[in-house]
Amino acid sequence: MLTRRRLVWVAIIVVAAGLLAFGAGRDTGPLTQQDRIDTITKRIACPTCDGESIYVSRASASQSIRAEVARQVGDGVRTDDEVVAYIADRFGGEVLLLPRATGVDALIWVLPVVLTVVLVMALWLAFRRWRLASATTTPVQVASPSQRRRSLAIGVVLTVVVGVAGGVLVARQAGQRLPLETSTGGIEDSTASILAQARLAGPSDVKTAIELYSRVLETDPDNVEALTYRAWLVMLSARQFDEALRAQAFASTVTALGRAIQIDPEYPDAMCFLGIVVYRDGGDAASAKEFVDRCIERDPPVQVRGLIDALAKELDAELKP
Amino acid sequence: MKSAKIGTLSVAVVVAAFIAVLLVSDGETGVAVSSPLLGQPAPAIQTTTIDDAPFDLARRKGSWVVFNFFNSTCVPCIAEHPSLIRFAEGESGRPDGVELYTVINDDADDAVRNFFATNDGDWPKLRDNDGAIAVTFGVAKVPETWIIDPNGFVRLRILGAVADGVLEEQIAKLRATEGS
Repeated sequence: MLTRRRLVWVAIIVVAAGLLAFGAGRDTGPLTQQDRIDTITKRIACPTCDGESIYVSRASASQSIRAEVARQVGDGVRTDDEVVAYIADRFGGEVLLLPRATGVDALIWVLPVVLTVVLVMALWLAFRRWRLASATTTPVQVASPSQRRRSLAIGVVLTVVVGVAGGVLVARQAGQRLPLETSTGGIEDSTASILAQARLAGPSDVKTAIELYSRVLETDPDNVEALTYRAWLVMLSARQFDEALRAQAFASTVTALGRAIQIDPEYPDAMCFLGIVVYRDGGDAASAKEFVDRCIERDPPVQVRGLIDALAKELDAELKP
Repeated sequence: MKSAKIGTLSVAVVVAAFIAVLLVSDGETGVAVSSPLLGQPAPAIQTTTIDDAPFDLARRKGSWVVFNFFNSTCVPCIAEHPSLIRFAEGESGRPDGVELYTVINDDADDAVRNFFATNDGDWPKLRDNDGAIAVTFGVAKVPETWIIDPNGFVRLRILGAVADGVLEEQIAKLRATEGS
C-alpha cells in the first residue's frame, strides 16, 4: 500500500512528465520569415506536376508561387492561412495538400467516416441475425413487417447522422478552413473593387459613382483615378445647372484635376479631362491644347481618346494663326 | 437474382460515370474556362515592357485589354501566334480596338525580342519578374489568354492556344453585352 509521501512523489512525477510531454510536443509556430515561407509552401501542391509540394518542386509555376508566398510573408499583412487561401483562390482547391473542410472538398473528410459507420452497423446487424438464427432453443419473437421497416429507418437515419457528425468532427479537427473563402470566390472588397464599381455605375448612375469615388478618397485621398473621375463627373452633372453652380463646379474640378496631375504627372485621363473642361467650360483654347497634347503623348485608353480626338482637331482649327 | 442484378448494374453505372468524368476533365484547351477572378475587378498590375516603358493596368481602364501569357519555347504559344497577329491587325483598325499585351512567362527579354522579330507582332510585351502576374491570375501553364473590359473587370479566361477567330468571336460577344 502506498504511503501518503509516495503518493505525493508519484503525483509530482506524473505532472512533471505531463508538462515535459506538453512542452516537447507543443507547436511554437514558425520562428522566422523563412520558417513561415517553408511552412506555407509545404501546404501547397505544385500546380503543374504530380505529388510534389511547391516547397520541393523546381517547376517554373512552383518557383513563381514560392516567390509570391515570400513576398506576402515579407509584407506581413496576411496570416499563413490567408496566404494559402490567396494561392488556392487563384489556382483552385486542388493545390491544397490538405483538403478544405468546406464545399465538395469536405466529402473527403466526411465519406470515410460515413463508410466506417455504415460498415460497423452492417456487421452488427449481420452478427445479430446469426445469433437470432442460432438461438433455436428459445422461441424468438418475430417482429411484424411495419416494426422491421421502422427499425430499418431508424437504423439508416442513425447511421447517416453519426457518420456525418463524425465526418464533420474530423474535418473540423484536420481540414483546412481558409479565411478568405466565400461562396463567390473570396475576392476582397478593396479599393480596386470600389473603383471598378464606380466605373460601372459612372455613365448611368452619376450620383452613385460620385459617392463610390468619395468612399475611395476617404481612405486614400491621393487616389488619382478617384480624384480625376469624381471631378469629371461633378463637372458633367453641373452643366445642367445655373451659371453660379457651374462656376463653382468648374473651380473645384480644375483644382482636383490639377492635384491628380501633380500626384501622377503620367496619368493621361486627368490631362485629357482638364483640357476638355478648360476649353468647354473655361473657354481657354491655348491651355486646353497644352493639356490635350500632353494627354495624347501619354497614350490614353480608348474611351478617353474617343473624347479627345475631335476636340484636338477643333483646337488646332481655332488656334491656327 | 433480381437484387444481385440491380447491384451489378449500379456498380457498372458508377464505374461508367467515373470514367466519363475522367475523360471529360482531361485538359481541353483553347476554350473559355472558369476562374474566381471572372466578374471581379482585375488585380493591380504594375510592371515594365521589354522596352522599359512603365505599364499600369489601372491606367488602361477605358480600353478592352487582352493579356496573353507567353513563352517563346512553348509549342502551343508558337502555334497560336498567327491567330494573335490576325486579331491584333483586325483590332488596330477599330476606334475601340482592343489593346493586346504579351505577358512574358519565365523567359528572357532577348529570346522574346528574337521571337517577335522573326514572327512579327508589334504589341507591347510585359515583363513578369518572379512570375508575380502569373500567380495573381492563377496561370500555371502557358499559353493563357485573359480579357479585361473597359471598366476594369475580368471577363474571360482562355486556357491553351487560341484558335483562329476565337478571340474575335469572344470579344464581339462581350462588346455586345457591354453595349459598346
